Amino acid sequence: MHRIVVSFLVLMVFMAPQICKAAVLTGSTNLNGIKAVSSTNAELSNMRWLVHKDGVEGTSKLRLVIDTTGPVKVNGVLSEKTGQLIIDVKDASLGKMKSTAALDGDIADKVTFIKKDTTNSQVIVDLSNMIDDSDYNIFTLKSDVANNKSFRVVIDINKPVPKMIYNFTPGLKDKVIVIDAGHGGSDPGAIGPNKTQEKRITLSISQKVKALLEKAGAKVIMTRQTDVDVYGPNASAVEELSARTKIANNNKADVFVSLHINAFSNSSVGGISTYYYQKTGYDAMLARNIQNNIDDIGGFEDRGINSAGFYVIKRTQMPAVLLELGFISNPEEEKLMNMPQVQQQMGQGIVKGLENFFAQAAKKGGGS
Amino acid sequence: MVRIRTSLVIVLLLLTVVIGGCAENANSTATTPKDSVQNEQQQATQGMQKNLSSTSNTSQEKMVLTVYHATKDALYLVPEQHVVPANEQPAQTAMEILAAGTKNANLVSVMPVGTKLRHISIKNNIAYVDFNEKLIKNNTGGSAAERLLVAAIINTLTEFHDVEKVRIMVDGKNIDTISGHMDLSEPLSRSEKIIKK
Repeated sequence: MHRIVVSFLVLMVFMAPQICKAAVLTGSTNLNGIKAVSSTNAELSNMRWLVHKDGVEGTSKLRLVIDTTGPVKVNGVLSEKTGQLIIDVKDASLGKMKSTAALDGDIADKVTFIKKDTTNSQVIVDLSNMIDDSDYNIFTLKSDVANNKSFRVVIDINKPVPKMIYNFTPGLKDKVIVIDAGHGGSDPGAIGPNKTQEKRITLSISQKVKALLEKAGAKVIMTRQTDVDVYGPNASAVEELSARTKIANNNKADVFVSLHINAFSNSSVGGISTYYYQKTGYDAMLARNIQNNIDDIGGFEDRGINSAGFYVIKRTQMPAVLLELGFISNPEEEKLMNMPQVQQQMGQGIVKGLENFFAQAAKKGGGS
Repeated sequence: MVRIRTSLVIVLLLLTVVIGGCAENANSTATTPKDSVQNEQQQATQGMQKNLSSTSNTSQEKMVLTVYHATKDALYLVPEQHVVPANEQPAQTAMEILAAGTKNANLVSVMPVGTKLRHISIKNNIAYVDFNEKLIKNNTGGSAAERLLVAAIINTLTEFHDVEKVRIMVDGKNIDTISGHMDLSEPLSRSEKIIKK
């Protein structure tokens, strides 16, 4: 008798994890109200959405998540005619899903759930602006009991870049170009180990760019010509930045170029990079053309082009770039950027890049 | 007979422990922070940033927190995991660990020296994270540093299932930028691209 009890005890200990697992499974299934997955059809059970605003790049994406009670198959197609994204959901009936729901109104206006037949349904997303095939992604996810999640259909839609019609012409003559010397006045920007101030270097290079562009016949507007705050000495950071973008927007500039010097806590980091925010369809092209002409300046590494949600390139209406012309925190680069011939070289690279940009943009934009 | 009875009692006790353990597990599942829409892809790999129930002794409960530090070339962020005693303010603890910096010689801490968390609250899946003025005053001024700093704060907080967006504040007020490059004028979501693959 004693032996039997001991065996039972041992068995219980051995079985414990299985019993436990089963209990958890049941618990979470009940919580979700999910029916056991069997041979019967799945149902759509819930929908939620969110606009994801990338913290680094500032780009927007709408994510729609539809819970389903079992595995389903999905297939999406864009309808140019109706401005809709139509998703067929195979092996899932509508269930108790509400027939329609409003969305963010910026990327998509509403979503409608339609019964196709007894076992299949359709999800129709009314887009605020037409998108391309590369702007959406639809996938399914398995249920995840540990995190209390059912089977899901995920629909991602990127905010499309507006199809702006530009008639860029080749050449720099008569182009309106805004040059923004970063920081200034009460804001010195970053400061180097030998006390070089970013605001001085950006102004110095900007003046060289201005002279070169004017020689080529362009109309140059500087956000500042001297060591001043653009808005005013006691302005908030955002007043200062918007004062710069307003100059470009009010003058209907063709392009906006902001000059900065980088800094980082690790003083061995160095190099030149160009940032853009893809808002007109031409921003990455502008960045690529300029970076290609400033990436081989002696003593500086090429850090390439990157997308970033920087204020001045996001809130200007024309193609815009923010250049980071070396690291002031790197003692060798700090020394180099103080040299007039290096500044001149940077200026020439920027101007050559702008010229190449207008040539390429003219081909794309259909201008003559 | 007395022995058998004792054994039976042990069996019953054991059963209680087993079932009790189960109930506890079920409860912790139910109180897991609300489902977040943006973390849909991550969930398969990480049931993260929530209490790990210890199997034997609840008084030693631990939690795993993930914070982000920069690579030495200032291009990417790398996650760093910390196992710490569980408490009621995991988001606050994660920010404190982030501000304390890293011991990993291959990584660089992005938080400006002296930055202290003043307060953090989570409302409608948005984390409002408030630092002292050192966040602005002691930053190096470069856009590379600002980009990594913003991303490290946002990515650390969006590890939590109930945080979808982050609003950065200084001295109790919303800020629009840290060093004049990033546009922080609205709550921002996680960035996957900046994480080193």
